[in-house]
Amino acid sequence: MRIPAFLRSSTTRFFALVFVLQLISSTALLLYVRHIIADELERTSRTLVTELHDDLVADYKQEGLPGLRTLISERLTGIRARDAAVLLDDPNGNQLAGNIADWPPPIPFDSGWQVATLYRMGRDKPEPMGLIASKLPDGTHLLVGHVIEGDLRVRRLTGEAMAAALLLAVPLALLGAIVATRVITGRVERIAETARRVGMGDLSLRVPHEAGMRDAFSDLAASINLMLGRIEALVGELRVVTDSLAHDLRSPLTRLSATIERAMRETDDEAALGALERVGFEAETLLGMLSTALQISRAEAGIGRDRFVDTDLGQMIEDLAEVYGPLAEERGFTLSAEGGGRAVVHRELVGQALANLVDNAMKYGRPDGTIRLSVHRADDLVTLAVDDDGPGIAEDRRAEALRRFGRLDPARSAGGAGLGLALAAAVARLHGGAITLGDNAPGLSVRLELPVAGD
Amino acid sequence: MAQKILLIEDDRQTATYIVKGLGEEGMTVDHADNGRDGLFHATDGGYDAIILDRMLPGMDGMAVLGALRAGGIHTPVLMLSALGAVDDRVAGLTAGSDDYLTKPFAFAELLARLKLMLRRGGSGTQAVTKLACGDLDMDLLSRKVKRGARAIDLQPREFRLLEYLLRHKEQVVTRTMLLEGVWDYHFDPGTNVIDVHVSRLRRKIDDGEEVPLIHTVRGAGYRLGLEG
Repeated sequence: MRIPAFLRSSTTRFFALVFVLQLISSTALLLYVRHIIADELERTSRTLVTELHDDLVADYKQEGLPGLRTLISERLTGIRARDAAVLLDDPNGNQLAGNIADWPPPIPFDSGWQVATLYRMGRDKPEPMGLIASKLPDGTHLLVGHVIEGDLRVRRLTGEAMAAALLLAVPLALLGAIVATRVITGRVERIAETARRVGMGDLSLRVPHEAGMRDAFSDLAASINLMLGRIEALVGELRVVTDSLAHDLRSPLTRLSATIERAMRETDDEAALGALERVGFEAETLLGMLSTALQISRAEAGIGRDRFVDTDLGQMIEDLAEVYGPLAEERGFTLSAEGGGRAVVHRELVGQALANLVDNAMKYGRPDGTIRLSVHRADDLVTLAVDDDGPGIAEDRRAEALRRFGRLDPARSAGGAGLGLALAAAVARLHGGAITLGDNAPGLSVRLELPVAGD
Repeated sequence: MAQKILLIEDDRQTATYIVKGLGEEGMTVDHADNGRDGLFHATDGGYDAIILDRMLPGMDGMAVLGALRAGGIHTPVLMLSALGAVDDRVAGLTAGSDDYLTKPFAFAELLARLKLMLRRGGSGTQAVTKLACGDLDMDLLSRKVKRGARAIDLQPREFRLLEYLLRHKEQVVTRTMLLEGVWDYHFDPGTNVIDVHVSRLRRKIDDGEEVPLIHTVRGAGYRLGLEG
């Protein structure tokens, strides 16, 4: 049988654990108190019985059997003797004195403290009592007891009080569990929120915590912050490496282009010109890749937010459809633009991102397929989508596709460096939005979701 | 008379490359390797155009440009920048430069843009209603295009593309210049997007004609003109 999800959740489990532990501790406490009370009551009765017994035996030693009989009668008539029970038997079992008629069979003639229910003479019902029995030197038997019915009533009362206390303990435990769960969940939620926002790209964020506190949560926060710091440093280093690589590569590439251009101006040899043109094209491709890589780095670093302008996105996708229209037609694609809406965006970068997506769609889409550009403006979210009806990207490979230089199929080296999607993703993040790769059934649906301030 | 160009660029390699290239084109180039000297030359001599690097020792390129424009000197300025992003392009253009080129650039691109600037500076901005090249006529008011007696039916964007080429006839225009000039977009179109547009236009203009007007310039772009 499957356990429902909410029961398997650790929050529920924690809640249950706190609740049960609180109940157990309250119960244990109450049981202990009850035990102490019972113990005390019994000890008091026992002392009373022992004292009476010792008095009687002492008297017997001084004054013999007749003195004892007198004393017993005296004692049983006193006001303090309300709960007392005494029986003095001769060796043959005949009563000599006391308020119990016969020696109770289960009690041995010489025994320590025990509890039995006996009739006292003149009472119509048996009473529970604590008893001590002893054998006197002349063969007579002495049984001294104390009715403990009052004790039992007290016990019963404490039992009832305990039940009531336990009933009160249930809501208290519940309250305790709720508060504890709230506190824990709240602190975990704070860590999770930070992690979520770091995941969204704000790498400089840290979990708030008091540095001086040495508790588990501060330790956790400190460890997570240490990890985030490391991630930020690594990403930073990577960025520096990529950026400086791109920068450093540009000078030799510029010289390469210059040399090619000069050579092209100096030769009339058709074959050489053709070759130079191809080399020149490759150099241009390389330059393009470098520029895109730099653009991605800059967008990821949040550079360009000051260039956001109010842009007619509907016009933009129509322009794009027009720019790419003839090429698409030549390759057998139908290119369409739908929807409209304005938003404050980085016009150039969004244009470049969409151009890259259209380019990708034409590279990987189905021949004779349809490529659909669309804009949808909801209250505070603009969705720009480029959908094709090609083979799409399997769900487990989509994250890989968004990585820089992450081209899925090396065999499909149809130009480009796999930077198109990475740039689109970086542009989305620059706008505080996200890129999603979805299934267009069939085909790929790339969506840029950009949050926009409501007008 | 040879056109006089002032190059303000601190990177020796780039400077040599530009000086040599422009020299081969028959231009006279003065070179300053820092902003202060550059500004001094610019305010002093009558240059036809200035090529200004954005990142300079001493005085930043933007500051030089600002000082020039504040001083009432309207020599066309082509900004160069290694920052390599459209943001800088926009910043440069708003600061008063006439054109903007990011490093690394193809020399052909620099040359084409420089020549465009020089031409623009010379001709002024008088309103024209008719453009022509050989037997190709374009009427900007009635939006009609004719090649000899043959009327040519053009899509709106084809019309603007041809208009751009005609306004820059006999000049090399690069693909990026076309994308910027016709569609007002500054991005790398990737594949041969612009080529397809031009070849469509070329089919309508040149097919069946004895003298082709739209020429492909190897390694650079296109040129509309009578000479092949």
